[in-house]
Amino acid sequence: MADRRTHRLRLWTSAVTVGVVLLAVLLVPPLVQLDEQAVDLSQKLLPPSWDHPFGTDDLGRDLLLRCVYGLRISLLVGLVAALVATVVGTAVGAAAGALGGWTDRCLMRLVDAFSSVPHLLLGIFVVALFRPGVWPVIASVAVTHWLSTARIVRSEVLSLRTRPFVDAAVSGGASRWRVTVRHLLPAVLPQAGLAAVLMVPHAMWHESALSFLGLGLPSHQASLGNLVQNARSSLLAGDWWPTLFPGLLLIVPTLAIAGLAGVWRDRLNPRRRSELML
Amino acid sequence: MLELDTVTAGYERRAPVFRGASLTVAPGESVGLLGPSGCGKSTLARVAALLHRPDAGRLVLDGTEIRAWRHRAPRELRTAVGVVFQQPRTAADPRLTLAEIIAEPLRATGRRTEADARVAELAPAVGLTADLLTRRPHEVSDGQLQRACLARALTLRPRWLICDEMTAMLDASTTAALVAAVEAYRTETGAGLLAVGHDRVLLNRWCDRTVEWKDCLPAEDTP
Amino acid sequence: MNAADPTVLRALAAVTAGGPPATGRGRADDAVLSVRDLTVRFRLRGGRSVAAVSDADFDLGAGECLALVGESGCGKSVLASALLGLLPGNAEASGTALLADPSGAGPTDLLTADEKTLARTVRGRRVGLVPQSPAAHLTPVRTVRSQLEETVRALTGTPRRARRKAAEDAAERAAFPGGHLDRYPHELSGGLAQRAATALALIGDARLLLADEPTTGLDRELVDRTVDELRRHVDEGRGLLLITHDLAAAARVADRVAVMYAGRIVEIAPAPRFFGPTGPRHPYARGLLDALPDRAFTPVPGMPPELSALPDGCAFAPRCPLATDLCATRPEPRAGVACHHPEHPRA
Repeated sequence: MADRRTHRLRLWTSAVTVGVVLLAVLLVPPLVQLDEQAVDLSQKLLPPSWDHPFGTDDLGRDLLLRCVYGLRISLLVGLVAALVATVVGTAVGAAAGALGGWTDRCLMRLVDAFSSVPHLLLGIFVVALFRPGVWPVIASVAVTHWLSTARIVRSEVLSLRTRPFVDAAVSGGASRWRVTVRHLLPAVLPQAGLAAVLMVPHAMWHESALSFLGLGLPSHQASLGNLVQNARSSLLAGDWWPTLFPGLLLIVPTLAIAGLAGVWRDRLNPRRRSELML
Repeated sequence: MLELDTVTAGYERRAPVFRGASLTVAPGESVGLLGPSGCGKSTLARVAALLHRPDAGRLVLDGTEIRAWRHRAPRELRTAVGVVFQQPRTAADPRLTLAEIIAEPLRATGRRTEADARVAELAPAVGLTADLLTRRPHEVSDGQLQRACLARALTLRPRWLICDEMTAMLDASTTAALVAAVEAYRTETGAGLLAVGHDRVLLNRWCDRTVEWKDCLPAEDTP
Repeated sequence: MNAADPTVLRALAAVTAGGPPATGRGRADDAVLSVRDLTVRFRLRGGRSVAAVSDADFDLGAGECLALVGESGCGKSVLASALLGLLPGNAEASGTALLADPSGAGPTDLLTADEKTLARTVRGRRVGLVPQSPAAHLTPVRTVRSQLEETVRALTGTPRRARRKAAEDAAERAAFPGGHLDRYPHELSGGLAQRAATALALIGDARLLLADEPTTGLDRELVDRTVDELRRHVDEGRGLLLITHDLAAAARVADRVAVMYAGRIVEIAPAPRFFGPTGPRHPYARGLLDALPDRAFTPVPGMPPELSALPDGCAFAPRCPLATDLCATRPEPRAGVACHHPEHPRA
């Protein structure tokens, strides 16, 4: 079926792209041993060539190398922030859903309060509290992104809680802690995991936005947001490559991750899971 | 004695499902509760299984009135009443194997070491083979899964057993097999039984006495 | 092949069950549905395969109700899905299932017809499905009337002005009270929801009705009412394939009973004989009846075999009190029974 073929194509292009990106960011820095900060003003703003496939920037630094380093730091921020946000969101959502009552009300009003502030504004507020660096950015992304996970997990837990298998567990003497940890959480983890993967691209964009605004990582550090920010002046001068390549490296991997997550989501669909209907 | 005395129960902020229901199950006795679908029998079964807190009325188990509801009844009382539901598909945790489902009550009450022996004892009693015990719910039929659910209800040797439409989804042979398994357990332990259902023929055959549910809202079924 | 002559059986059934008189013609002419050697296999990962349905063979005449009974997991729902072309992708169906065409054109083979044919001309129009859980079958956010009208539009292309009337007629045919048409599904009782779903199934005026466990979870009174409704549609000349595990429901409406065990139809018998004092001839069918609470209430010992690991011989032999060495070979159906030592061999 054509449907299945496009499905497979999506899976493979996404998987290969993510694989190449991971290999690049993991292997290039230790293997190449080049200084991505090396300034060579005689080489500034060279268009793409064999020596510099992505060209050079206004300080003569090799853009390919800087892009790989930038992608590395963006991915790192994205992954760690998504992980933190998912853990926090799952914990809050599960607690709210499983305990109910006042706990639920208080926690969800907290979520509402956080949600009522525009994300970027909240993120800027968090980074502004600290000196620029990787951790404030991660904290900023995590603080703004755990809310949706908390909502997803809570609603899943609430619907699972009314299932007879929870009643059966309770009747078998299970404590509320055990019901939550052994029966409810395992059921929501695939959903939460999916939310986490979908969050990585979000987090990368958030980081880039902060860096582009000059509020994220220190501007000498190569992150995708910083690279685009630095390239702004050259773009007005007609030099397209310093903007294009970091931009592509932001778009392509995030699309690939979203594609993989989409395949995963289809797999979670219960209709696909039961191949046999007896 | 499992005693429901003028119990009223319902769900938050909605009108009660039933008011003033009274029912007694003596030790060793089997009582059938007969009524049409949607009249609140299942809610009554959940109250009797100590899974649902009644809004009013007394719930007495062996002479002690259950007052200490926090979110649920105290564990040692809950585990004295076993419960089997209508739909095995939703009553079994889809991620566990049948053996784990049956052993779960022992694990939950910190008696993990007895689990294997108890599963080995219960599986033949409900007619499950060793091969089936290693499978997960989606790999077995409704009848096989309901056998596991019955075994789970018996794991902690409850003094009362509540069967809420236990056989409504099952064919005649599996129904007879499950009823036989329940009766074997009751002969062995002298447990009391509350069987809730709508099949008059079945409940009359199965139970010492049957109680008719009449307090239900009038059905607006007739055109 | 099913050697029991359906014409004779139907005549027999008609006498006792009050069905229409047999036409006396050959079965190929008046059968609404004619199934031959229907076999469904599921391919699983690791090269295993599951024999969900094997060599199913039966005819269903107009004005006849055939009840397909058996334990859960014996393959009866798979058979229904195969007839509707709704099998999942990993299933393979072989054999034929010919659906007669009232317009005089040749019959349609439901197993080989492409999805377009099935969707445009078969489902709803020539085969009506009475669903298992009507409450889930209806759209919760729309009234019964709007769902009926939509189906009228989709299936018959009735002009807008006539639709309201057509929907009301459809509701009336299914004995759905007109006063309840503007209600939402959650405002209906189980019985009314079942009638609404039946009304939907009848709009296309299909000559074949397929009811897959239409009474599961209903109480006895509603079961009786539901199957009586279905019987009414049968008496109007439709063919009904009733798939159920509820023997009491089957006894109430069926003209003939087909018993399925481990994917095979092991016996087809006229209902009066099957439920009457003579009883069925296959030991499994006898065991099923003996399990009823108003009979011996004793289960058939053991459990059905895995459909992925069926024995070469008779699948029921390991549980059969009459099994002999002969049962190591598979019994071919003879006179409607697939058994080496059926009870009451025909005199």
